[in-house]
Amino acid sequence: MMLRKSWLWGGVALFLGLALGWSFTGPAAVFGQNPNLPVAARSLSASLFPSPVSDAKLKVFAQALALIEEQYAEPKPTKDLVYGAIQGAVGTLDPHSSFMTPEEFRELQIETKGKFSGIGIEITLKDRILTVVSPIEGTPAYQAGLKPGDQIVKINGALTKNTTLMEAVKKIRGPKGSKVVLTINREGFQKPKDFVITRQIIPIRSVKARILDDGIGYIRLTNFQDQTDHDLQAYLKKMKQRLVPFKGLILDLRNDPGGLLEQAVRVSDEFLPSGLIVYTEGRNRGQNMRFYARAGQEGKVATVPMVVLINEGSASASEIVAGALKDQKRALILGTKSFGKGSVQTIIPLEDGSALRLTTALYFTPSGVTINEKGIHPDVVVEEKKPPAEKSLKKLRDEILTRHMRREGLTDKPWNQPITPEELDKDPQLQRAVEVLRHWPPKNLAQQRPAPQK
Amino acid sequence: MAYFLLPAWAASDSKYDSLRLYTEALFEVSQKYVWPKQEEDLIYGSLRGMMNSLDPDSSFLTAKEYQQYLHGRKDIPAEAGVVLIVKKNLLTVVSVIDGSPAFRAGLEPGDHIIKLNGHMVRNLTTQEATRRFQGAPHTKLKLQVLRNGEVKPLDLTVTLEPLALNTVTTQYLEHNVAYIRIRYFNNETPGELTSVLKNIRKHQPPVKGIILDLRNNARGTMEDAVRTASLFLGNQKVLLAKGRSTKSEESFQGKDRDLIFKTVPPIVVLVDHGTARAAEIMAGALRDQARATLLGAKTLGLCGLTKAFPLEDGSALVMTVSECYTPKGEKIQGKGLEPQVPGQTPKDEKAQGKAAPKKMTPDQDPWVQQAVDLLTSGKSKRVAQKEQAS
Repeated sequence: MMLRKSWLWGGVALFLGLALGWSFTGPAAVFGQNPNLPVAARSLSASLFPSPVSDAKLKVFAQALALIEEQYAEPKPTKDLVYGAIQGAVGTLDPHSSFMTPEEFRELQIETKGKFSGIGIEITLKDRILTVVSPIEGTPAYQAGLKPGDQIVKINGALTKNTTLMEAVKKIRGPKGSKVVLTINREGFQKPKDFVITRQIIPIRSVKARILDDGIGYIRLTNFQDQTDHDLQAYLKKMKQRLVPFKGLILDLRNDPGGLLEQAVRVSDEFLPSGLIVYTEGRNRGQNMRFYARAGQEGKVATVPMVVLINEGSASASEIVAGALKDQKRALILGTKSFGKGSVQTIIPLEDGSALRLTTALYFTPSGVTINEKGIHPDVVVEEKKPPAEKSLKKLRDEILTRHMRREGLTDKPWNQPITPEELDKDPQLQRAVEVLRHWPPKNLAQQRPAPQK
Repeated sequence: MAYFLLPAWAASDSKYDSLRLYTEALFEVSQKYVWPKQEEDLIYGSLRGMMNSLDPDSSFLTAKEYQQYLHGRKDIPAEAGVVLIVKKNLLTVVSVIDGSPAFRAGLEPGDHIIKLNGHMVRNLTTQEATRRFQGAPHTKLKLQVLRNGEVKPLDLTVTLEPLALNTVTTQYLEHNVAYIRIRYFNNETPGELTSVLKNIRKHQPPVKGIILDLRNNARGTMEDAVRTASLFLGNQKVLLAKGRSTKSEESFQGKDRDLIFKTVPPIVVLVDHGTARAAEIMAGALRDQARATLLGAKTLGLCGLTKAFPLEDGSALVMTVSECYTPKGEKIQGKGLEPQVPGQTPKDEKAQGKAAPKKMTPDQDPWVQQAVDLLTSGKSKRVAQKEQAS
């Protein structure tokens, strides 16, 4: 699973930051707990008075800390030691719980908010050279004329040689209205040229769309962040106008690692007239929640025949959506078994800006099934096209990158440009989904209630 | 208990803040984690994590492990024959001993071991991980390994065996160059190398030079290194060890009577990312004191001296208390030694991106050939001298 994600994200390190593929796998149920809680006071009392961790054990820890500070071969900042300790403590929990340094936490906040202040480029290290993957349409980088394949030689006069992607991303981002100077080397340039670009708020798109000629819409979700449902609604509205009749919809959740629980609920709600979507159970009553679809909202597409694509890269929030639509028999699920991550993580900010990502509850599909470690099983199993075995990881990444740079990917084209038969040929799962919708309702599927035709 | 803690806690505001952060984190976990958790697990996990954040040799020992540690290392009946470290929370293979079970199973330096007998490898210290690769003969270990350049994790099975005893092998190459391979260091290595070097001394015609292959060699103590290096260096300094205070600075050297050569022939030492501990000390000493040329890739930089400190509840910390420096004062620990001559990377695409090539004979090995060229063209000495001058 980790591998899978790394090859998806690894080559094309999004402007979101490197960590996306690795860290952004869990829905944050209670994102940003009330910051006004008197955290300091509470933990102080927790340490000096009866606390869940006994004094004897804390004493051992304090003794260890003091020993390191006196005896370790070189001085170490206490904070680094404590970060190591917290990391170690969290390491004894499930694999979805983790500790984030302040920097990592800020990165996560940007990802979940769905926007940040910058210039709007995806960058990567190609053969160790900092390279523009693509400027995002409508952003300052796009308007300034940056092109895919441009090499970024300097950022604000500082050479980018030997830089890490994370460092570069950090330097390029900055407050709205401020300027960054990128020195660009491009094929055809006599010598590198400076581009002065003013930073703006850049939205991160988690929803992409295309259509087919015969009234079928295609929507792909790349993750679940604050803007996802909003963007999804906008596309559904446009599709309703463009596709008359609206014969079918494909929701592509393949390789969508998840995101915010609340967004999973909202996305499911767009397609369900009523009923339970998901419920959670934790150790404390406060973690037990039930989420229902709300009746009669504007813009809902509660009756359009629907196929959901999943694969082993569809996790958590994706599985909530697929599970709800499957249990309610709202959509046909097609592809391969999903990842199987049925736990909810809560982000708990700590007082110095670092944070815990802690598994606080498990979630269950409406029929009471936990998908933890089991995954969602598709109604129709269709395997993905396997990459040729002899190809190396690097080669595969380069190919994906090149395709993306040339804007040849399925979702690199405008949403209203119909998907061609050639594009369908490359994706057997999508092709099958289209066939199913063209012959709706599907036969031979006892469990599948025919959806009402429009 | 507050009075006990206060001296440590109240030392400075920042220390106090850090500890408060720790208790805050523990409080949150104990209150909100979906499954109840033993506090001992959390504290011991913390101590492991804290020691891991220092360096790969620093470890935490439970009370039981500490007792075993005190009673001395029992002979290991069988093992996989790898040197492992935990780096950035990943269990990483540093070196694979030539011919060992791990070697034959196809494990390579740089591999990350992600599963052991079906369990995810998490929150281990280097010492604990190392213990899991030792045991009774014929024990089978199932590994899942992540390798650079491979799309899918590899499944390997290693059967534990006693390690073959000899650590030194030798052969004569063209142009009267002697090639010595040290697979790893143990307390037999100085004796083995003594007889090898005595043969080389007798060799007719006299050897033009010696290639000492210390690649993929990360096992051995400081004592092993000092005794082995003194075969070339007599009573010259082999390393400096420095700890927290200037008082703790110590230098180590062998005995003059150990010296084999009156005039040491030109030496090229082959090193790579799998060169660590005794091998690193040896490489640094020969470079500084015998004008040996290091050829290959940067060494690992793992060369510290550890000491155990018991804690109140019977558990203990094993901690690096001083760090190795070459005789001329270059720090090895955490930095590694940069070779004067970088090893050539194979040009053809097949070999690229692959870790250390599978066992090759010295005649097929491009770095050995490079070393032979250096020794026979006389460039080796010049490189070494230039390095000294700068």
